[in-house]
Amino acid sequence: MIFRFIHSSDLHLGRRFANITEPPDGNLRGRLMEARFDKIRVLAEAAREQGAGHVLLAGDTFDSATPSLQVLRQALAAMRDAADVQWWLLPGNHDNLRNAEPVWDEIGGDAPENVHGLLDTSAIEITPGVALLPCPVPVRATGRDLTEDLTRVQTPEGTLRIGLAHGGVVDFTDSGEQIPPDRDKSAGLDYLALGDWHGRLQVSARTQYPGTPEQDRFKHDTRGQCLAVTIMGLGATPEVSEIETGSFLWAELALPLHEGEDAAAALDARLLTTERRNTLLRIKAGGWASLAGHAALRVAAERHAPEFAMLDLRTDGLGTLHDMTDLDAIDHAGAMRLAAERLMAEAEDATLAEEQRDIAAAALNRLYAYSTEAPR
Amino acid sequence: MKLRAITLKDVRRFTDPVRIDGIDNGVNVLSAPNEFGKSTVFDALRALFFVPHGSRGKEISQLRPHAGGAPEISVEIETADGTFLISKRWLGKPEVRVTRAGVMIAQADEAEGWIARLLGGGDGGPSGLLWVRQGLNSLAEGSNKEQQAALVARRDLLSSVTGEVEEMTGGRRMDAALARCREELGVYATGTGRPRAGGPWADAMQEVDGMVLEREAFARRVEKLQTALTERARLRRELADLEASEAVGERKARLEAAKAAHGAAQAYAEKVTLAMRTLQVATTTAERARNDLENLKTIKNDYASAMQNDEKAKAQLLEAQAVLAIAEQAFGAAVGEHDTAERGHQRAADLLQQVQARSKAIAANDRRRELEERLGQANAARQAVEAEVAVASVGPNETDMEHLRALAAALSTARALRDSTATRVMMRYLPGQEGSLRHPKGPLEHNTALPIHTDTGLHIDGLGELLVLPGEGPEGLSDVASVKTEVSTALSSLGVSSVDEAEVAHRKRKEAGDRLTQVRAELAALAPKGIEDLQRQLATLPAPAAGDGTDLPAEEEAAKNLDNAKALAAERAATRDAVRERRDDARMARVQAQVRHEAAAERLKSAGIALERLASKDEAELVRLADTAETEWTNADTALSQLRAAAPDISTTEATLKRVQSVSNAAHQRIDALRPAIAALNERITGNSGEAVEERLQETDEKLEVARTHCARVEREVKVLQRLQRALEAARSEARDRYFEPVAEELRPLLHLLWPDAELNWADDTLLPQSLIRNGQEEPVDILSGGTQEQIAFLVRLAFARLLAKGGRHAPVILDDALVFTDDGRIERMFDALHRQAEGQQIIVLSCRQRAFRDLGGKALKITAAVDQE
Repeated sequence: MIFRFIHSSDLHLGRRFANITEPPDGNLRGRLMEARFDKIRVLAEAAREQGAGHVLLAGDTFDSATPSLQVLRQALAAMRDAADVQWWLLPGNHDNLRNAEPVWDEIGGDAPENVHGLLDTSAIEITPGVALLPCPVPVRATGRDLTEDLTRVQTPEGTLRIGLAHGGVVDFTDSGEQIPPDRDKSAGLDYLALGDWHGRLQVSARTQYPGTPEQDRFKHDTRGQCLAVTIMGLGATPEVSEIETGSFLWAELALPLHEGEDAAAALDARLLTTERRNTLLRIKAGGWASLAGHAALRVAAERHAPEFAMLDLRTDGLGTLHDMTDLDAIDHAGAMRLAAERLMAEAEDATLAEEQRDIAAAALNRLYAYSTEAPR
Repeated sequence: MKLRAITLKDVRRFTDPVRIDGIDNGVNVLSAPNEFGKSTVFDALRALFFVPHGSRGKEISQLRPHAGGAPEISVEIETADGTFLISKRWLGKPEVRVTRAGVMIAQADEAEGWIARLLGGGDGGPSGLLWVRQGLNSLAEGSNKEQQAALVARRDLLSSVTGEVEEMTGGRRMDAALARCREELGVYATGTGRPRAGGPWADAMQEVDGMVLEREAFARRVEKLQTALTERARLRRELADLEASEAVGERKARLEAAKAAHGAAQAYAEKVTLAMRTLQVATTTAERARNDLENLKTIKNDYASAMQNDEKAKAQLLEAQAVLAIAEQAFGAAVGEHDTAERGHQRAADLLQQVQARSKAIAANDRRRELEERLGQANAARQAVEAEVAVASVGPNETDMEHLRALAAALSTARALRDSTATRVMMRYLPGQEGSLRHPKGPLEHNTALPIHTDTGLHIDGLGELLVLPGEGPEGLSDVASVKTEVSTALSSLGVSSVDEAEVAHRKRKEAGDRLTQVRAELAALAPKGIEDLQRQLATLPAPAAGDGTDLPAEEEAAKNLDNAKALAAERAATRDAVRERRDDARMARVQAQVRHEAAAERLKSAGIALERLASKDEAELVRLADTAETEWTNADTALSQLRAAAPDISTTEATLKRVQSVSNAAHQRIDALRPAIAALNERITGNSGEAVEERLQETDEKLEVARTHCARVEREVKVLQRLQRALEAARSEARDRYFEPVAEELRPLLHLLWPDAELNWADDTLLPQSLIRNGQEEPVDILSGGTQEQIAFLVRLAFARLLAKGGRHAPVILDDALVFTDDGRIERMFDALHRQAEGQQIIVLSCRQRAFRDLGGKALKITAAVDQE
């Protein structure tokens, strides 16, 4: 028996991206929110293309435990519109059973027929011969491994056992919630569909994280994707293929600069040339640059920025090299020169606190900017 | 350059040539009265050096004499290149020449150029600093052109010494950078470094604060929502637990069981009650049987006891009667004896009374006799009083006499007055003729004046009658008459005819009064309360007693007898009372014995009746009945004990039933309460969740993070601008100080001549002092006194001159009446400053204050007539 399905998670529908600076056209947040919502359609299409009749959403379908009615109802409506697909929604930590009780009540009471909320750990025959073993997250922090119950869930002989859970395989906080990486074996699962990580991660052949279908942070440096999983039969190793679904690319670009290097040119060389409109780019400049180099880098970034959805230049790690030519640009002598020399000395005085040095360096940079802009 | 001589012709009042010769190095003084031409010399020099020869302007036309003419001015100067003569003429054949030792060096425009180069170029050159015209005593006076020229000169000077001020202080670039820095900073902060209201810094802080509040509000709502969710889940679980069929069934079963148990307990309790009644009956029966038996025994014993008691009481009664008889007899005897003593007492009292009556009668007779005697005397005194009263009321009293005497005195006075003023006749008889002159009252005495008050005839023996006619009457005559009339009236009223008679009558009256007083005193002594009182006292006395009472004992003896009798009576009375008491006790004892006897008889009677009543009862039968009753009681008690031992606790079953009932009721009530509570929570949750509060909280969190990041950036920007501003201002201030240091260094010792610790602050736009610091206080220059401003300006010019000289640009300092506001005390120090700075320089002082500047010293200049140098 061949069973295909789409494995996705962490749609985080309803996220508002308030931490994203709106560009002058004032629409980036809306575009990002719309991109997330559109993933329902994209997942449905992916399912159709793969011949899959089921989409398993392993948690955090909604960004908050109490999404607005519009978010909730429109999501259900979109799922309803993909009537040829069965949607299986597992409560995650963001939309856990307790905090998001109204959501699950709504889904349980008024959801389309093809939308199913998995509210308890009972095994469900989602299609003949295939049992879905869900591990819904009851509260935000459970303090235990919810997949442990899978070892005790019985299914009829000859049934494919597909686990669906939400959580990490690495316990960063010592909370006891870590999912053992071999849970598929201990629970006798043909596949364990996990959610929580927004990046793609294969734990084992039978234990996978698809990542979020639409990225929302500068962490994974890829577009969002889902997994198309095909299980050819009992005991067969699942065939997993990645399907890119993301509209926006969240990329982080490291830009190390060397002394004397043309910062603007270095930036130009590293920047993407295509699909800038759908790219959010964070540039982390590092290394050393002169005052002129700082200014040039800033100018170059400002020049490229409008083409991107968002371009964020971070120069915290870019040191400033001061030399006499910089000071000459300010003035050759006199009070201006004196002020510049003092600021430079303060910026380079290792005995001073870092903040004071940083302020002095920034003041010197500013003086440089004034001087290079003022007519002689 | 140094001036050596000046020549003027056709310059104002100097139509003929005049010259100032011998201008030396150091201090030169041209001291002359007003309108002598000192300022003309100043203006002439300025014109020579700065006004082109072709000029026909005001500064030239004002140099012309009234009568007209072409002003000509020549100056001999000495420079490093030698001695030159500069000559210039305006208006009529204008020309300018520069010659050396008579040789033409330059003329016309070339000469003008030569002069300009000599001065260092510019409009005014050092003269703007060093040449002070009359009336311009501060540094910032003069026309705009002059001030601008002076500024240029100062800048040129300082720049030549220290460098261009712009180069040092940053000039316009510094100004622009500072202005921009301040402008940008001003957008964020106020002058005190606080966030500017409405600025981006304040806005960023407000944004953060607003976000924090908003976040807190959403967090509270989320918390409330979560609390409501938790509560609803709990309530739902509770409702489910309560409504579970298993729970309902269990409650019902428990209730039924409790009811059954309690019913059984109640039934059992009834059985126990019945057993208790049975026992109670058996107890009563047994008690009765025992009582009957006991009663029989008791009654028999009582009867025997009552008989004994009765006998005893009877014997006691007889004894009490015997004692009473004896006591009655004794009491009778005591009463008799007491009566006898009482009679004896009475007799003694009567006897004493008689004795006392006899004494009283004797006293009364004596008293009678005394009273009768006094009464007689008192009557006699009263008669005497009446007689004296009659006499003492006749005649004038004292008041009358005083009045009469006063009248008499007045009459005498009137007469004397009358006589003193009356006509008098005096007769001096010849011997043997005495008495031959007679007036109506008799012969005149020899040599005795006789007042004549009325027409009076005097008879003269042998001659006839001499009439004396006093006229209208002497003074006081009418007074005498009136007084006399009064006297007559008074005498008449008193019933006398003369004063003497009145005196006599008065004296008699008085004597009678004295006697009256005396007899009244005697009467009062005899009868203090009056004669009637004596009579009453006499009437109250008893009639004289008959007999002498010689058969009676003396009163003392009688009293003693009475006392003895009294004592005996008292003794007998005490004896009687004691015997009475004994008799009364005997009576009481007899009564009590009677009562006891009666009670014993009654008791015997009752015991006999009771004994008679029970006579029919058989004691053995009573014993048998008692035993039977006892057995039945024992059986009933055993049965009850057994029942009780096995009895269920009805209180417990009742309590259990109540509890179970209450649990069931509580469950129903709780179910009824949970449903609306859950409904209310549903509504609240639906409302809040529909508002997406968690999404909005998360959104607010993100916005808050952004706002904080932005605020931090703004604050950093503020710090950067503030740091930059401080750096620029500090650098510029240091540069400015360095720029002015040369002139400050020159000026310092000069200032200290006036103020030991003084310093000047300089404005870098005007390059002039803007404030004076002395005694630790900073004072703006423009508020200083005129004298102080003048002195500062003076010293600054001297400092500038020295700087120029050090720079190789020697220029004369020309001061036209430059110290007009300086007092005599400071002017000496100013003179010291002049001479101090004159080393290597040329200073020309023009002054009208000849006396004050006498102590200046230096070379004295004069304007003298000059021979035409042409």
